[in-house]
Amino acid sequence: MRRLFALLLVAAIVSVLPACSEPPSIVLWHSYRGEEERALVELAKRYEREHGLHVELLALPFDAYTAKLQAAVPRAHGPDVFIDAHERLGIYRREGVVAPVGDAVPPEDVGSYEPTALDAVTIDGSRWGVPLSTKCLALYVNDDVPAGAPDVYPLAYEAENPYHHAAVLSAFGGALLAPDGSYGFDDDAAVRSVLYVRELIAKHAIPGDANGALVKQLFASGRARTSIDGPWLAADLPPSLHFHVEPLPVVQETGRRMRPLLTVEAVMLSPSGARRPEARAFARWLGGPEAALVRATEAHQVVASEPAWRDPRVAGDPLLAAFHEQARAADPMPTSTRMRAVWVPVQEAMRRVFRGEDARVALDDGKRRFEDALKPPPPPPSPAPLAIALGALALVGALFAVRRARTPGFRQQLRESRTPYRYVAHAAVVVFVLVVLPLAAGALTSLFAGTRADPRYVGLGNYLAILTARGGPLLGHGSFYVTLIVTVLWTVCNVTLHVAIGVALGVVLSRPVMRLKGFYRVLLVLPWAVPSYVTALAWKGMFHRQFGAINAILSFLGVQPVSWFSHFSTALAANVATNTWLGFPFMMVVTLGALTSIPREVLEAAEVDGATRWQRFRGVTVPLLKPTMLPAVVLGSVWTFNMFNVVFLVSGGEPDGSTEILVSDAYRWAFTRDAQYGYAAAYAVLIFLILAAGSRLLSRVGGEATT
Amino acid sequence: MSEPGASTAAPMRAEGPAAGPSIDSERRLPEAPRPVRCAVRGVRKSFGGNPILRGVDVDIPEGAFAVLVGPSGCGKSTLLRLVAGLETADAGTIELAGRDVTALPPRDRDVAMVFQSYALYPHLTVRDNLAFGLKLRKVPAAEIATRIREASAMLGLDTLLDRLPKQLSGGQRQRVAMGRAIVRRANIFLFDEPLSNLDAALRAEVRVEIRRLHDRLGATTLYVTHDQVEAMTLADTLWVMNGGVVEQKGTPLEVYERPRTRFVATFLGSPQMNLVDAVVVREDRALLVDGGGVRVLLDEERFGDALSEGQRVVVGVRPHDFTIAREGAAACTLKVELVEALGFEAFAYGWLRASGPRVVARLEASDAKRVRSGDQLPLAVEPARLHLFDPHTGLALDRS
Repeated sequence: MRRLFALLLVAAIVSVLPACSEPPSIVLWHSYRGEEERALVELAKRYEREHGLHVELLALPFDAYTAKLQAAVPRAHGPDVFIDAHERLGIYRREGVVAPVGDAVPPEDVGSYEPTALDAVTIDGSRWGVPLSTKCLALYVNDDVPAGAPDVYPLAYEAENPYHHAAVLSAFGGALLAPDGSYGFDDDAAVRSVLYVRELIAKHAIPGDANGALVKQLFASGRARTSIDGPWLAADLPPSLHFHVEPLPVVQETGRRMRPLLTVEAVMLSPSGARRPEARAFARWLGGPEAALVRATEAHQVVASEPAWRDPRVAGDPLLAAFHEQARAADPMPTSTRMRAVWVPVQEAMRRVFRGEDARVALDDGKRRFEDALKPPPPPPSPAPLAIALGALALVGALFAVRRARTPGFRQQLRESRTPYRYVAHAAVVVFVLVVLPLAAGALTSLFAGTRADPRYVGLGNYLAILTARGGPLLGHGSFYVTLIVTVLWTVCNVTLHVAIGVALGVVLSRPVMRLKGFYRVLLVLPWAVPSYVTALAWKGMFHRQFGAINAILSFLGVQPVSWFSHFSTALAANVATNTWLGFPFMMVVTLGALTSIPREVLEAAEVDGATRWQRFRGVTVPLLKPTMLPAVVLGSVWTFNMFNVVFLVSGGEPDGSTEILVSDAYRWAFTRDAQYGYAAAYAVLIFLILAAGSRLLSRVGGEATT
Repeated sequence: MSEPGASTAAPMRAEGPAAGPSIDSERRLPEAPRPVRCAVRGVRKSFGGNPILRGVDVDIPEGAFAVLVGPSGCGKSTLLRLVAGLETADAGTIELAGRDVTALPPRDRDVAMVFQSYALYPHLTVRDNLAFGLKLRKVPAAEIATRIREASAMLGLDTLLDRLPKQLSGGQRQRVAMGRAIVRRANIFLFDEPLSNLDAALRAEVRVEIRRLHDRLGATTLYVTHDQVEAMTLADTLWVMNGGVVEQKGTPLEVYERPRTRFVATFLGSPQMNLVDAVVVREDRALLVDGGGVRVLLDEERFGDALSEGQRVVVGVRPHDFTIAREGAAACTLKVELVEALGFEAFAYGWLRASGPRVVARLEASDAKRVRSGDQLPLAVEPARLHLFDPHTGLALDRS
């Protein structure tokens, strides 16, 4: 054993040694795909050829990119340089992931960059990235559709998306976030802009309730003449479509042109990278005209380097030129970390206005929610109670251990148990590392507030805030108790339907006279086999007010179409329908298994005793199913209680966060309200406690009923 | 149906016996079920093209204890299930009390059934098991309580009423299953091999119990078993089934003593009847069977015209009908291979001829002591105890 370990150690050292002796190289992280990644690889090779410095590229999945950077860089495992959007600079600066670029943008280069792009990466007078390219919305125009064509939307865009609405808002002179970091979506400009869009929807000038996929479909099929969208749309349009891109139009009501939000992709330097001159030189080169030309021609990036635009290949590309022109008339996305908490309240407020609520009230509510989400954590209490509690716990444990060790025969027992302990040791370690440790870490997190880089101990402050509804009314909007009631309602509805449908189908399928039984069984288990997010997205599409299958069927039957996500009851019904579809196969399979354990003779005895089919089911089958179904019901309740996918994807909490359940609410606190991990962890701990108590209660009540 | 009458009569019956003529009220249920006649005519049934019953006629008079006996797969259980209404017949009719019930579901037939596995409701206490059928028939609660009290007293279940089936022994479960049938006061009781899950000692005990119950209740009973001891001891009328048809019906003794077919002859009786191939011969005007080591005089009265000289027959002798021949008048000589002594009697196993079938003879315990393996044992048999069968049809050769 020991020899093997030594050998492994030597092997590890030997394999690392050559790496140490190699000439220095630069590590670059990015999340590019396709042609952008190919262009980057080519550039890295060219740089190595021309400057003799190896650039090691690491492509990371987009979703994990930020988390990975935040985890790796502070521990010095990160890259020297990395490519990311400038709006993340706020977080990266706070977390110490990024450093000023210094001479990567020397004074002589300043003039060669797009001024707005350079502005975007400049914070507090220093530059935090070398701008590579820009992305913003612009107007796509279908050249085959004449203006004023009947049954065609003059314009289609994601009207409920704050990112898109920011462009409209700018034409009214407003902004989502004021330069000082305060919430901007509550002034007159905001009210006027929302009412303006509501008017457009009412006039059918634009489709309401439209997501990206629908907008793309409308534009590509010619049912919308124009569309506001980003450069990514062009790649998805069919080659046969004749279209051009132009800057966003003027809003007639104000006479001002819309200005979209601008995202600048930039090369950023980690603190360790910023200290290396060769990393700075590479960053400068990557942003410079030579590399920009490659990026523009090969990867079709709207490059931020001005000299590149003198090349006819770049300037002559109408698509690139149009977005380039738009980028000059765009407002960089704010880099403040508070921006992350803006999107949800704005969207909720907009949706409420579009549903017909009073704009002033809805927007003021939005501001309140924004400020509530960013409420500074409570002052740190003295850690004494925690220390005392832990100390007392340790003392009791120690006392117990001492008493145990003093009992006669303990040593003897210990000696005898040594071999068994050795057998269970690895399992105990695995369980501890994989189950106990994460649980404890999660619970511990709930005692802290603030960010990862700057955690602040708040004791039970998070729990206190949750259980007192953050000082608001206990049954106010989005309070823990309201969400808990919704969650329980959601769970009860679902599990009832799951069990009812599952048992009914199980009983039907278990009838011996049935033909094609195997076929039906496969068909009915199918919903279970499909990944739940696929199903959830499909059902969300079916529930679309204007284009969904369900409203199409309703209107075919002469029923008024239902705006499913405008009311709590219909939105909950949509969620429940989706989750019922996902959940009944499990109960059906459990029922089928349980039915085989019911002796046929017992049912026949009931038949001879004079029971009708229904009486046999009620009097014999159901009570005999119960012991098997009970654990399944407990399990199903826990799953449903925590069914994040369906709630998040189908209703998304609509209307106005009222169909949110505890888990999805916890997610919102962690990921859309300025990363309040401690607060979300407290939610998770509360959910755990509720479920533990609920399951115990359910099995006890059900268990009593069966014996 | 007896229920409407029974429910109104219930309070009356509490004091009824005192006024009534019956002195032995303790031995009879206050109101015995009205026994009915059960008639099965030409019933056929096959499962997936596999014929199980090929035209069966059974007629059970009111209050009789009829036993259907036969090897497994003979269709006896299927017949019982058809009478219960758990299966539907392909052809033929089933009548209960003169009413055609062929197409009726079980609950409209008013039958009670005891299953082989007892089929107690595992989630219900003994009391609720007994009450289940009554509650379904909307019998008033007071009446239910009375009937349960009576039935449980009769079966010795009084102390077990609040237990669950899983807390009972096999014999107790069996009694609950019978109790469930008794409280129903059904027209006819059906038993499907009710003793096969009990151990031997208990089986004998419960067997007697069942017969006693029948005598007390007087209900028409149809009882299915593959056990010949049960069949012999319980039945008023025995119906021996084989291959989906009834081979013979009659009282147990009739069937035992005059088996109409070779199958019936070998199926009943233990050890089995010995069968030997032989030929009919006439010697000195006397009729004999000869062959296979057997040579026996025949009773001309009994077989006379049924036989002709030179006819091939199968000779059947029950082990109990052999006696040790005293004065050289041996019908055959058994070469003893093994003697099984049971104390009060013994069985000698052996061969008459090297190539012949194995033969068993019963010996008196006293004789058995003298017989050793390898002995040549001369055996005699009374002509009246002889059975002859046609080797081709298997039918008994008998004048009757």
